[in-house]
Amino acid sequence: MTTSSADINGIKDKAAIVGIGETEFSFDSGRSELQLASEAIKAACDDAGISPHQIDGLIRYEMDTNQETMLIQSLGIENLRHWESVSYGGGAGNAVVGHAAAAIAAGFCNYVVCFRAANLRSQMRLGQARNPQRIAGGQQAFAAPFGSMAPAHQFSMFVRRYMHMYGATSEHFGWVAVTLREHASRNPRALRRDPITLDDHQNSRMVVDPLHLLDICQENDGAAAIVMTTPDRARDLRHADTLTLVEAAAQGSGPRNEGVIYRPDISVAESTNTARDLWARARLGPSDIDALMFYDHFTPFCLLNLEAYGFVPFGEAKDFVEGGQNIRFDGALPINTHGGNHSEAYIHGLTHSQEAVRLIRGTSTAQPPNKTINRVLSCSSVAQLSAAVIIRRG
Amino acid sequence: MTQQHDQNIKSRPMTGPLEGIPLPDLDRLPDYERGFWEASHSGELRIQKCSECDMFRHLPTPMCPYCHSLEYEWSKVSGKGIVYSFVVVRNPVHPAIREKEQVPYNICLIELEEQEGLRVCSNVLNIAPEDIYVDMPVQVTFMPTVEEPNVVLPLFVPSD
Repeated sequence: MTTSSADINGIKDKAAIVGIGETEFSFDSGRSELQLASEAIKAACDDAGISPHQIDGLIRYEMDTNQETMLIQSLGIENLRHWESVSYGGGAGNAVVGHAAAAIAAGFCNYVVCFRAANLRSQMRLGQARNPQRIAGGQQAFAAPFGSMAPAHQFSMFVRRYMHMYGATSEHFGWVAVTLREHASRNPRALRRDPITLDDHQNSRMVVDPLHLLDICQENDGAAAIVMTTPDRARDLRHADTLTLVEAAAQGSGPRNEGVIYRPDISVAESTNTARDLWARARLGPSDIDALMFYDHFTPFCLLNLEAYGFVPFGEAKDFVEGGQNIRFDGALPINTHGGNHSEAYIHGLTHSQEAVRLIRGTSTAQPPNKTINRVLSCSSVAQLSAAVIIRRG
Repeated sequence: MTQQHDQNIKSRPMTGPLEGIPLPDLDRLPDYERGFWEASHSGELRIQKCSECDMFRHLPTPMCPYCHSLEYEWSKVSGKGIVYSFVVVRNPVHPAIREKEQVPYNICLIELEEQEGLRVCSNVLNIAPEDIYVDMPVQVTFMPTVEEPNVVLPLFVPSD
């Protein structure tokens, strides 16, 4: 029998996250995306204790407007030995971290940076209709004429079906919103810090039924960056006392995902595939994880991911999140202690891996009390393509 | 909180295609998509069907994803199906939706009776969005768009 890719964990503990950095998050940064990227990457280098001149690997989101050459110019990179771009906005979220770890494990470069920088409020807004008026074919031609023109339209289809299948209600999603906002209320970086109640969630306006306004992530400006190198080099850098390693990574799709809504069963996230590979590769399971960073573009996807990754059986996430106690920073399984895309900022999922690092360092603004965080799962589920990483204390 | 939704007041049903929004450009469609719109123009719902393995597929593709044959036909289907999932858009994200005050409107994912998992995206007419439910039986109907009379949309109405 041949070996499955899920049996191989070629990156295990071969890359260390040594620096994280970001700009302030805002609704109008007032500066170019190149400046945002440069500032975030410089901040991550400062955190690591290296100079941007030492960067020799860049992993960017394909959607990012900052090309490698622009950053070589702006940051004074001497020789870029490795570069990649990962396609799909949120789907790239944790994928860039996995790719960066792989580049280090393969020896392609010494100091690799993954980043996302965008004016997603003051310039291109992902939540608005962006289709051309005349569509030359493809999935848009079969959706936009019926008014399906924005991510919320497609993803809400999952949510309705999920509610139908498992009896989840808007109030269950509301408990996720309330909890994420509570976490953000402790986080000075967060855009939305005023605590909300379940009533506030239920009374927030219906945007795309079944999604209320308070189910939907922010649209904002900002940038985030992560620096990685080998564990050996990490031991000489600023955070040598807390080695933070990438233990495993996985990506997955499932079939028939073009156009999002034609998948075989849209009450189940595509991340079930990613989860299966991740656990197999890492030789770990849900009980080994101390905290969760879920890509929360829409609150219901936190429930879908709890089930996809096996933290609860299918259909039982609604009971697990009810009341919020289980998923609070001081609960059994904290979710998004930074406030997530929902309340901190929407930097296409990169802030989630950053927060995983803070939890391991013990520096989160919602650090779980009386509990050492040894392993964090950061993962996406964006209904088409998903990615996940396990970040652990070395 | 200006658009607070009162459960007791039902919204008006859709009666035809949305206006002013993106439409397919019939002159530029790839050959493997054109049959869908040509059939709709003739008042028929035809779905791409593999000539080798007889599996329906939507979205259309040049190759059969099941058996990899390049041969297909546009097979007429009954137009009967159920609402597999649906959403009700209440916030206008397109200028024409905003300017022509077209919210709320529904987007329905219709599962056709011919094959499990065979779904098309559409709107269901003649029903308040509050009355739409998953598994609701529907039947296809056809209406031209206001802007491009040659573009005829397959829409659905509730059936018994």
